[in-house]
Amino acid sequence: MKLASVLRVLVAALLLSIHGCSTVSTQQVPTPVVEQGQPLSAQQPAIKYQAPGYEPAPGTTTAVATNKQTPAVVALLQQAERQANDGDLESAAASLERAIRIDPRNAVLWHHLATVRLSQGEPMQAEQLASKSNSLAPGNYAQQSRNWLLIAQARRQLHNAAGAAAAEQRARELGAR
Amino acid sequence: MLLAILLAGYIVYLDFQVRQQFTGKRWSLPARVYARPLELYTGLELNAEQFVTELQALHYRPVLSPREAGQFSRNKNELHLISRPFDFWDGQQAPANVRVTFSAGKLAGLTDASSGRALSLLRLDPVLVGSFYPAHNEDRVLLQLDEVPVSLTDALIVIEDRDFFSHHGISPAAIARALYANIRAGGVVQGGSTLTQQLVKNFFLSSERSLTRKLNEAIMSLLLEWHYDKDEILEAYLNEVYLGQDGNRAIHGFGLASYFYFERPLAELSIDQMALLVAMVKGPSYYNPRRHPERATARRNLVLDVMAGLELITTEESARAKARKLGVSDYQRKAINTFPAFLDLVRRQLQRDYRDEDITSEGLSIFTTLDPQVQWQLEHMLGSRLDGLERERGMNAGTLQGAAVVTSVQGGEVLALAGGRDPAFAGFNRALDAHRQVGSLLKPAVYLTALEQPQHYTLATLLDDSPLTFTARNGVVWKPGNYDRKNHGNVPLYQALAHSYNVSTARLGLDLGIEPIIKTLRRLGVEQQLNPYPSLVLGAVEMSPLQVTHMYQTFAGGGFRTPLRAINAVLAADKTPLQRYQLSVQSAIEPAANYLINTAMRFAMREGTGRSIYQSLPASQDVAGKTGTTDDLRDSWFAGFTGDRLGVVWIGRDDNKSTGLTGSSGALRVWRDLFTRFNNPGWVQPAVEGVEYHWIDPKSGSLADAGCQDAIQLPFITGSGPQQQAPCVKEKQALPDPVDWFKELFQ
Repeated sequence: MKLASVLRVLVAALLLSIHGCSTVSTQQVPTPVVEQGQPLSAQQPAIKYQAPGYEPAPGTTTAVATNKQTPAVVALLQQAERQANDGDLESAAASLERAIRIDPRNAVLWHHLATVRLSQGEPMQAEQLASKSNSLAPGNYAQQSRNWLLIAQARRQLHNAAGAAAAEQRARELGAR
Repeated sequence: MLLAILLAGYIVYLDFQVRQQFTGKRWSLPARVYARPLELYTGLELNAEQFVTELQALHYRPVLSPREAGQFSRNKNELHLISRPFDFWDGQQAPANVRVTFSAGKLAGLTDASSGRALSLLRLDPVLVGSFYPAHNEDRVLLQLDEVPVSLTDALIVIEDRDFFSHHGISPAAIARALYANIRAGGVVQGGSTLTQQLVKNFFLSSERSLTRKLNEAIMSLLLEWHYDKDEILEAYLNEVYLGQDGNRAIHGFGLASYFYFERPLAELSIDQMALLVAMVKGPSYYNPRRHPERATARRNLVLDVMAGLELITTEESARAKARKLGVSDYQRKAINTFPAFLDLVRRQLQRDYRDEDITSEGLSIFTTLDPQVQWQLEHMLGSRLDGLERERGMNAGTLQGAAVVTSVQGGEVLALAGGRDPAFAGFNRALDAHRQVGSLLKPAVYLTALEQPQHYTLATLLDDSPLTFTARNGVVWKPGNYDRKNHGNVPLYQALAHSYNVSTARLGLDLGIEPIIKTLRRLGVEQQLNPYPSLVLGAVEMSPLQVTHMYQTFAGGGFRTPLRAINAVLAADKTPLQRYQLSVQSAIEPAANYLINTAMRFAMREGTGRSIYQSLPASQDVAGKTGTTDDLRDSWFAGFTGDRLGVVWIGRDDNKSTGLTGSSGALRVWRDLFTRFNNPGWVQPAVEGVEYHWIDPKSGSLADAGCQDAIQLPFITGSGPQQQAPCVKEKQALPDPVDWFKELFQ
């Protein structure tokens, strides 16, 4: 993949995340119908013993779950976007790392860091970071779908066509959920 | 004729020397090591006291109303400050005039002081925590001419070399004046040296007073002026001049002197402070303001008078400046490095990428991950808890030693590190170099190996804790026993780990085989030699606290291995980026299996060997962790993590004798002291996909329902829940569907 097109995708993704939209126009991901951060009370089993077995509603502990980024994180995302636009990818990565320090379980930030690494020609690390993003986005199929698309690109850079196709398939399935 | 040729040859030789050395002059600049910069934003966990501590470490000055960078004022929970500009890896942070308010342990508001507009984020300049010096101990803060206040260069020139801008390196008028004065006094009382000559003397020559040296000095000064312009010479002088001594560290240049005497950058000095530095040029020892304040004051005032006489400042300014105290900070013979144990780690990580001489002489700026707030707390808590343990147990003071590491859970950044109970001691670094048996800290690797085979093992699987005698092929007999000397029959797997039962763990380890457990340890990032003996499963392996931290980092990071980093970035002396140490992750354990092992370690905190943690932590605080105790109570370990921080603590003795402490009566209490000070929101590992919950009867390990006594909910890897129903389920019913929140959520 050409650097310029990776950058375009990156910038588009950053822009979208900043504006709270949950689709990526350049990629074939259907608009998800789920909203994050729904309360769970209706389905939650009665808890008689609040031991470690008891869990909170999934995804309620991060800002991304409510699709709301804190102003500090938004500022750093915007800065990362500017830096990526200027071709200063390592500074963009540094800004994203700063954002991760502030909101470490924000799957969106890990996804963008993966995107930057991919643009920097580090497909292996990009795939790992995208997997990390997946692990932080349980139930957020739209985010997972974006991560799998990125993993597909990373695998293609590594000349792993079969792996890339499988990742794309996964992205489609998740996108359709 | 011959003489002329010889002289010409000599001059050519000197010329070569001058150009060679001046052009190629590279001051060896020590590396500066910085803590992480404090990022201010609404919601940050920080109270006003902690913030002020940080500002003090940055040498911000409390004033009534801040007017310049590096000043702040405080009114209870509201602070007003002007931050300093700073060159970071990713560009310069501009100064900002801001108001910061705190409420309930958090930063509640960050606004621009002039416009009142809310700011999203401000990065302060980072605390300087140490330097790496070259062997000859020269220190400098290199300045460019345009960074030096004009008042200072003006004062310097009028005092030391009034004709500087007009002479050609030597000043006959000055020499005549000095000669006259010296003859009248009958000895050398006044120098006629120009700044150029002084520089040449410092640069190229010895300090002996001989005619040859004087001659060389004069020739070289002329040559220097021939080749270089005044600004270059002045800049070199400002950086070279000797201005004091700090133990065996020589203070060179106005940049460093400003920090050494006033603890602030040159640009922030007042006119009287600049005058004092200029006054000291004549004799930094004789006019040492800390040792001889009267002499220093008299000469400073002389400088101010001369400045007023030449109308560089007004008479009123001069009078006001002369009325001021010297304003020199208290001399503290500081250990050069505030946090020697952490700096030791930094240096070792640097040595992988840089030669030693580059580290000490190339003027690198090293941005570390150190969080001074956490480091201060850790040092305090470790020291006071060890004191307390010794008192409690009637031990001689100083018997116990300890070490600890604190990291960020997702980024693997080392936030704090203690290499012993005396934080100022720069010797043996136990966090890195004390390799001790880890005991039960190893058990999670055994249980994880089991849980990764969901068709065979779940958290509810009953393990046999009855007495075990194992005879190895070589005939060696192994009879592990439990710490409480009891056997507990059949126990569910999660309880065997939570209570750290040795016998059931040993049996589980033998069933699994040692090789798969070693493979698991490798995936967790354990790199040292591991002997494939059965005793390995009970922790017969020696690790340093840092290595243990690396292993637990993977659990805390949701199954992703993260290299521990003490450095974020390195800048060259000219502030160009040299290297970044990137955040990177490597998937090592399936998140679902990792979730199960973390759940078992959370049970260890709620019900098992770590439950005393909740004597001071609120019940809402989610913690996962494991205690470790070795034979004869030699080592007391605890490794535990919350949603955002991981801490590993070791307590032992340098002579490796018994401490009388278990993991929970020793190390865990240090951890608890420390983590009680943090506000750790959130869960150890929020829910993951591929896990479902079932009600379980812990006695039988079978399915229960909410009505069963003692029934608990346990997570299982999807599809691995037990098939049998416990007797307590009153009406046999069709097996209930497992709880799958994700499906429910997104159906």
